[in-house]
Amino acid sequence: MHNRFQQCLRKMSLAALTMLAVSIPVHAADLVIAMPNWPSGQATANILKVSLKEQFGLDADVREMGTLIAFAGLDSGEVDIHPEIWLPNLDNLVKKYVDGAGTVAISPIGVPAWQGICATRETADKFGIRDISDLTDPRKTAALDTDRDGRGELWIGAEGWSSTAVERVRANSYGYAKSMTLLETPEDVGMAAVDAAVATDHPMVFACYAPHHVFELHDIVRLTEPPFDPAKWKIVLPSEDPLWVSKSSAPVSWDTAHFHVAYATSLRKKYPKVVEFLEQVDLKPEDATKMSYALQVERQDPYEYAKQWVAAQGARVHGWANP
Amino acid sequence: MTGKLMIAGRTTLQRRSLTAIVAVALGLVAVAALAAGTQVFDPKTRKWVDYDRTKARKYYAAHNEVPEAFRPQMVKFRTAEVPGTIIIDGNQHFLYLVQPGQQAMRYGIGVGREGFGWAGIVRVGRMAEWPTWTPPAEMVARDPNAVKHAGGMPGGPDNPLGARALYLYERDQDTIYRIHGTPEPWTIGLDVSSGCIRMRNDDITDLASRVKVGAKVIVLMQGAALYKGV
Repeated sequence: MHNRFQQCLRKMSLAALTMLAVSIPVHAADLVIAMPNWPSGQATANILKVSLKEQFGLDADVREMGTLIAFAGLDSGEVDIHPEIWLPNLDNLVKKYVDGAGTVAISPIGVPAWQGICATRETADKFGIRDISDLTDPRKTAALDTDRDGRGELWIGAEGWSSTAVERVRANSYGYAKSMTLLETPEDVGMAAVDAAVATDHPMVFACYAPHHVFELHDIVRLTEPPFDPAKWKIVLPSEDPLWVSKSSAPVSWDTAHFHVAYATSLRKKYPKVVEFLEQVDLKPEDATKMSYALQVERQDPYEYAKQWVAAQGARVHGWANP
Repeated sequence: MTGKLMIAGRTTLQRRSLTAIVAVALGLVAVAALAAGTQVFDPKTRKWVDYDRTKARKYYAAHNEVPEAFRPQMVKFRTAEVPGTIIIDGNQHFLYLVQPGQQAMRYGIGVGREGFGWAGIVRVGRMAEWPTWTPPAEMVARDPNAVKHAGGMPGGPDNPLGARALYLYERDQDTIYRIHGTPEPWTIGLDVSSGCIRMRNDDITDLASRVKVGAKVIVLMQGAALYKGV
């Protein structure tokens, strides 16, 4: 469809395009909401869009973009809202834009979230991989070998995620980077590998986060780790320093994460009621899990899902808009 | 999730995949003299048993069939992928076609000695019946038997691509990888020298009849050697 549209466009003469541009007024949206490429973020972006229309009569454009671009957009005023900013993952961006430039604000209510390393039930029960230290035992990780080089493989996330960089640091710090091959592939590849492992009782260990639909699909075990210790958590991201690997160290659990709505501080003058609303949005982990399952497993359209969600949660949304 | 910092222009395949694709294309459908040690999943005992080229030939000679694990069968398969998606697990020599109701049609496959060479997401760009096979120039130079087919070997029962070929594309680009049939059905379940995915002719014909052009194809992480040191 998209290609056909492009071909069609190419065939149209410049004159015709010019006429179209002149004769059809372009409708500018009141607000722009950044949409990330993971399901709960996609659902929340659309829930905010539907809610803003219902509660304030405002039209919002939902545009898919990466977090770095979204932060730059929030800073410049091209983007007004981001539905799901993960902390502490993005602490460095918060430092730059929230604490420094003061152009971005983070809504105070966060959804608690968890990040770490997971295994399928089979892996824990039959292969004895239950704790992060088990990953430094080559006798155990050999079972995770999928390319017959004797080393186990570990999916640490998608290329470009900040969490993937942190997982690489953790693998170095704990020591299992030496005994295992760390893989970066799109999330769909990582999750399909979990599906295939479960289908054949093969062991599999992977980076994971909750809320997430994988916990609904499969019996997943979270590996135990030493508790988070801020004194031991030294993370430099690839975007900050090319020598980030050698300058980072994190031989402990992730800190409890929270994800928050973020907005451009320019909204405070432009739409103060919208800011009040955004600061009241209090999604729960179970909301995010259901969103993830509805979009990723049931393949519901994010906008259609959002319309139903807002209709079903009318009183709650109304409460956010009228604190 | 997790504060993903998406990088603009990021491709689905890893950077080094092109090298692998070219390397694989050169040995596209040559039959290997050796097969790496593989295992067969026995669904009855739910255990993995050693399987090699000798065992495969013996089994096929005795049964005129591949082991049960590699025959098409509907299996329980819980996934977030939509029906119609193909998931290729080169390590276990299975190709799954996702079906409604958390099930999948599972087929046995043969893969390259070095695995598929990469992991990622592609799509079925086109399909062909009894496709013509043209050996790569390298193979023509190396293998006297390939010379007579330098201009293209017409489709047929002896053609290395077998009854059907599904051409895998990344966006609008042919990756040079194919899922295709084979005149050597006993190689299913083995790691032979071709980098492509081979299936029995009946199986690839069945798969092609169920798949639509544009279908998403997920290649799992086997062949992970490419990612070492990333």
